[in-house]
Amino acid sequence: MTVSQGKENKLNSIIRASRIISRMNQASPEARKSNTLYYQMIADYYTRLLEASKEGKFIAAHTVFFPTEILYAMDIVPMHTETTTWMIALFTGHSADMLSAGVELGLASEICTPHRGLAGAFALGVLPRPSVMLWSNLVCDNTAKSGELLMEINHCPGFFIDHPFQRSEDEEKYLVGELRDMIHFLEEQSGRKMDWDRLADIVARMDRQIELFREINELRKAIPTPFNPQGFLQLLTIDYLFPGRPEATKYLETLRDELVERVKAGQGAVSPERFRLMSLFIPPMYLIGFLEKISQEYGAVSVTEPFFTYWGEGALDPAKPLESVVKKSYMLPEMRMYGPLDERALNGIVNCAEQYRVDGAVYYADVGCRHTCATIKLFKDVLDRIDVPVLTLDCDVVDPTITSEEDVRDKLEQFFELLEDRQ
Amino acid sequence: MKALGIDVGSLTTKAVILGNDGILASCIVHSDDEVESSAKTAMEEVLNLAGVSLNNDLYSVSTGVGGKSVSFSYKKKTITTCLARGISYLVPSARTTIDMGAESSTVIRVNERGHIIDWVNHDKCAAGTGVFLQQMAKLMQISTEEMSKLSLQAKSKADISGTCAVFAESEVISHVHRDPPTPKEEIIAGIHFSVVSRIISLCKRIGIERDVAVVGGVALNRGLVKIIEEEMGFGILVPDRPQIVAALGAAVIARENIEKGAK
Repeated sequence: MTVSQGKENKLNSIIRASRIISRMNQASPEARKSNTLYYQMIADYYTRLLEASKEGKFIAAHTVFFPTEILYAMDIVPMHTETTTWMIALFTGHSADMLSAGVELGLASEICTPHRGLAGAFALGVLPRPSVMLWSNLVCDNTAKSGELLMEINHCPGFFIDHPFQRSEDEEKYLVGELRDMIHFLEEQSGRKMDWDRLADIVARMDRQIELFREINELRKAIPTPFNPQGFLQLLTIDYLFPGRPEATKYLETLRDELVERVKAGQGAVSPERFRLMSLFIPPMYLIGFLEKISQEYGAVSVTEPFFTYWGEGALDPAKPLESVVKKSYMLPEMRMYGPLDERALNGIVNCAEQYRVDGAVYYADVGCRHTCATIKLFKDVLDRIDVPVLTLDCDVVDPTITSEEDVRDKLEQFFELLEDRQ
Repeated sequence: MKALGIDVGSLTTKAVILGNDGILASCIVHSDDEVESSAKTAMEEVLNLAGVSLNNDLYSVSTGVGGKSVSFSYKKKTITTCLARGISYLVPSARTTIDMGAESSTVIRVNERGHIIDWVNHDKCAAGTGVFLQQMAKLMQISTEEMSKLSLQAKSKADISGTCAVFAESEVISHVHRDPPTPKEEIIAGIHFSVVSRIISLCKRIGIERDVAVVGGVALNRGLVKIIEEEMGFGILVPDRPQIVAALGAAVIARENIEKGAK
């Protein structure tokens, strides 16, 4: 298994598309300023990565839910592999090629598409070749195995962070040890030293950003809700790519201010707001435009996403930067899915539904993701207790051959009729 | 003003006219390639049966796979909403309804007001559908009506796969050519059981609450309904004309709209 040589990576497709969207937003008086900032940030992230790749600089590829704060503190160029792969797929329309390349590597078609396509993207040379591969077992076993394969494909060294399943003082200490080992590995590989003062600054900004995420969540409770139907995906990307970065703080403050204005003006994201929805897991990326459109058409809006935007309690302490990075990893909204789904976690979903006054929930059941699909019945039952109906939408987050736009429309229309009937 | 409901299915189109005192008329016609012409044929026939002229004020609602393409209907509603309204009109005690159509199956759960609590569709595969049963009848060289009768006489059931229509077909052929061949009625009961096992697993996804009603064209097959009853362990309700339930539901919605003063 090797990377295709001599092929140019496709980072330019993201940079070009992001710049165009950003310019179009700048020219439109109705566009949100935060939206313009977001695409500028995306363009800048990938420009930096592209330049690093051209200049042969040290690049650290990492999987999702990785403590990127450490890379920024060491001035190492990060590459978020899942986000990069699927942004390229979105902007080039080449998802089928990447998925097929993954199958050719020997990954069965039943293996979850984000990981299959990721391996395929590296094999095709769509992504730049990294200097090191970093990964952990967050938030599934597939990720743990995926990193090994990516290291093999890229013929590069790698480091695996063993993230404890449970949370306790001992386990937090163990994770701090894991991060120290990784820092040592990175120092050896890159020749760079960890800048602890810089990490403390990043942690301070990350703490501020978590506060801003919470403020934004509070504003989304307003009726009508001010944030656009699928806008939460931007919030995810902000934490995936820019944790503790000054530009992320600027983006979140700008967005918060815009939402404050909209709430004051009683301006909703959809007009009229008819259905307030909870989103469980991630909608198909290739249908985001369509989902935004149908949401506007039916006055439906996602107001809360317990596994993606609802941060755990606690604050970070810049005086203990590494311990804070560990603490943050346990505060991630996605951590509710890691470890046993006990009554407390399930009650959290119910609280979310009640606080945000949701009319219904849409469960995006990614057919390849077995550990999330195992929760369908569990979540349906827990939401049924408070009379919140759940639509289970069988789909795939990146593979358009699983569910068509027409099929999704049919299912959503049935669900909206159900909600209308109950009002 | 009269309320008209039209359900354009993949094999048949159903229409129901609802007056103030109940169903005035209903009809079932074959669906042709043109949705609009099937819907018009059904509308003309049901109006004729009801003795209502086209000049009378009509408020129509369409549903079914072709429901969205009926240009003359005032509203297009999904099959689940129409099934819920239709079954609540005909069998108010039904809380779970199994609709077994030609190319898809739907299970819905409704509350006492006839509003949907949950539903689940099966429309990705031929196994467990009416067309599958038609295909099996053809293979056995008997009519679907005969299938129903023979199934009721079966003392046991042949093993037939419920997972895939293609596998099921080869299993049926193998039973026919076995020496001695598996008795016809046992093969048919096995075919019915394979369909029922799909339906039961669909029901379990959303939970089964009594009373349970079976509607759609397949509900006319008594042999199959008997197997559903055996598997569920209690009696199942089947309305007199189970095929028209969705069209009736569309007509009920049309009437609700008339009462709200819509036009």
